Amino acid sequence: MIIVRLGWRNLWRNSRRSLITIAGIAFAFAFTIAFIGLGRGLVVQLLKNGTELMVGHVQIHDRDYLPDRDLYETIGNQEGCDWKQLIAGLKRRQTVVAVAPRVFGFGLVSTGEQSAGAQMIGVDPTAEGDLSRLVDRDMLARLKPGSVLIGSTLALELGAAEGSEIAAVTQAADGTLGNDLFRVAGIVRTGLSYLDRSVAFMHIDDLQRLLALEPSRIHEIAVKVRDPLTAPDASREISRMNGLPEGVSVQSWRQLLPQLNDYLGLAGGANAFIIGLVVVFVSFGILNTMMMATFERIREIGMLNAFGMRPGLVLLTFLFEAFFLALLGLAIGFGLGALIMRYLSLYGLDLTRWTGQLSMLQTRVDPILNAVWNWKAVVAAGISLWVATIIAAYLPARKAVRVDPVEALRAPVMQ
Amino acid sequence: MRIWRLSILLILLGIVTGPLFPQTSQQRAKEIIDRVDRMLRGDSSVGRVEMTVATRQWKRTTELRIWSEGTDKVLVRIEAPKKDQGTSTLRVGDNIWNYLPKIDRVIRVPTSMMMASWMGSHFTNDDLVQESRLARDYDITIEFEGARNGVEVYEFLLMPRPQAPVVWGKIVYQIRKSDLMPVWARFYGEDGELKRRATFSDYQTMDGRLVPALMRMTPQDKPGEYTEMKYRELEFDVKISESIFSLKSLRGS
Repeated sequence: MIIVRLGWRNLWRNSRRSLITIAGIAFAFAFTIAFIGLGRGLVVQLLKNGTELMVGHVQIHDRDYLPDRDLYETIGNQEGCDWKQLIAGLKRRQTVVAVAPRVFGFGLVSTGEQSAGAQMIGVDPTAEGDLSRLVDRDMLARLKPGSVLIGSTLALELGAAEGSEIAAVTQAADGTLGNDLFRVAGIVRTGLSYLDRSVAFMHIDDLQRLLALEPSRIHEIAVKVRDPLTAPDASREISRMNGLPEGVSVQSWRQLLPQLNDYLGLAGGANAFIIGLVVVFVSFGILNTMMMATFERIREIGMLNAFGMRPGLVLLTFLFEAFFLALLGLAIGFGLGALIMRYLSLYGLDLTRWTGQLSMLQTRVDPILNAVWNWKAVVAAGISLWVATIIAAYLPARKAVRVDPVEALRAPVMQ
Repeated sequence: MRIWRLSILLILLGIVTGPLFPQTSQQRAKEIIDRVDRMLRGDSSVGRVEMTVATRQWKRTTELRIWSEGTDKVLVRIEAPKKDQGTSTLRVGDNIWNYLPKIDRVIRVPTSMMMASWMGSHFTNDDLVQESRLARDYDITIEFEGARNGVEVYEFLLMPRPQAPVVWGKIVYQIRKSDLMPVWARFYGEDGELKRRATFSDYQTMDGRLVPALMRMTPQDKPGEYTEMKYRELEFDVKISESIFSLKSLRGS
């Protein structure tokens, strides 16, 4: 116990130096916390945007549907499946929040003289509103049978406005030219230019009829789960579910959005690298402090040795000094970091000054970045800093306690 | 829509005297193709065609009526089956319009959809307008002259001119020497891989002229799929009223 007290007291023998070191550790830790928080914030945001915009967290397709989106490769193949029952089954699962069926087609939309190619997406407006944020719920609610929502750039190209009548023409599954008239119920701005240029949302029944697909045939079921980070597990569970038609493939966003997955891995790596760098810098600062503290006390170490105090115990006093140094630094740093995090999670970091409207990896990125606590990384960074401090103290102290008492007592007295 | 004719016409129209190629070869190619064209094409024609499209999922036959005049006016109207009856396509110059009777709308095909399928067949909208463009966009030379499988033939090579906005990397076209009947045409992509082939057969005399009554287009990347155009009737140099190639007549009125 006396050793612990000695360590604590030693800390305050040169209080200014100790405080500066403590401040250094505190700032380093606070910065690390904020940095980790922003990193996680970006991950969460990219993940939300990447998945909740349209993709969802898990998708079910026929095995051969992606990547070509062949019209004929519907879930359950030529016969299709009882997808309404399948969706009901998915919804009963604990982890599942929303489920939406989709049909895709490519074709021509036209107001007469003005025509353009379009990606037609047949949706169930209510289910789609629960799952994706690409088009807001009120807009989707306008999507009655016989109507269509078109992208803003596409609308401009066609000269179509709300209420305009447009013709949709496509190659139907039976070889005929599927064609029908639709009323434009709304113009959608998704924030993704490639969609604004080409998308036409229709009621799922309408698009099935246009494509001459039987009502049992759909191309995709998108699933939203409670926690996107656990989507791979959810996807595995769903793929083992009873009543799944033959030949389907169940994939999570990790397979569906490989660039996003890669980016998240990359971001994690960069995070760890920066934290490592901070730890190294802080360690050198502490190494310097502890070296000073050790060598100015070389006389008293020699004295203690001469009295017969075991070198191990002397070493321990230094270690405790470093322990308290780190403890204070980390505690203050945590407090500071928590304040910064509070600010960043409430108000966020406004990136508009640098970026303007931001879109990355084909998803929309909110230019205001909100920090999110990543406890695991914060604790890891704290422990790394702590361990680094103690190691930085151990190295000079180990050398000092082995000093020959006679030589030590001859050393000049330092203030 | 008669692709065999399209190709030939295009070729022949080419006042193609590219300075890089020997005059004689170019001139001979032009001369031969001119003659082929004169045989296969009158100033105008009216025909009845049975078009069969086979894909992995379905196979259907439609009956078409085709009017054409010169090299840049074509009207195609589906006469059967009932479901498609009245669906029509008009091509004038580089423009294509489709008429869809079910919704009673005329739709102009945008440039971005030129490579899309025409009426579900293995022809693209672009094939319709190529007739007038090939001669403009390709240099034509005789690549081979001699016997293939015991038949004396010419093989013409069509290479896109620099900067020509073309779809094909090259086209090779075989014509029988004896009667100047087309045998096949092969269409290659930009990297030189074979994309599709057209084969001509069933040579018959129609309205006093020998023509290949059957043409089959086979895409290379979809095994088992093809589109066949079979001429049932064909009349040459018929007097066609100008008004036939108008949006009004496209609507069938």
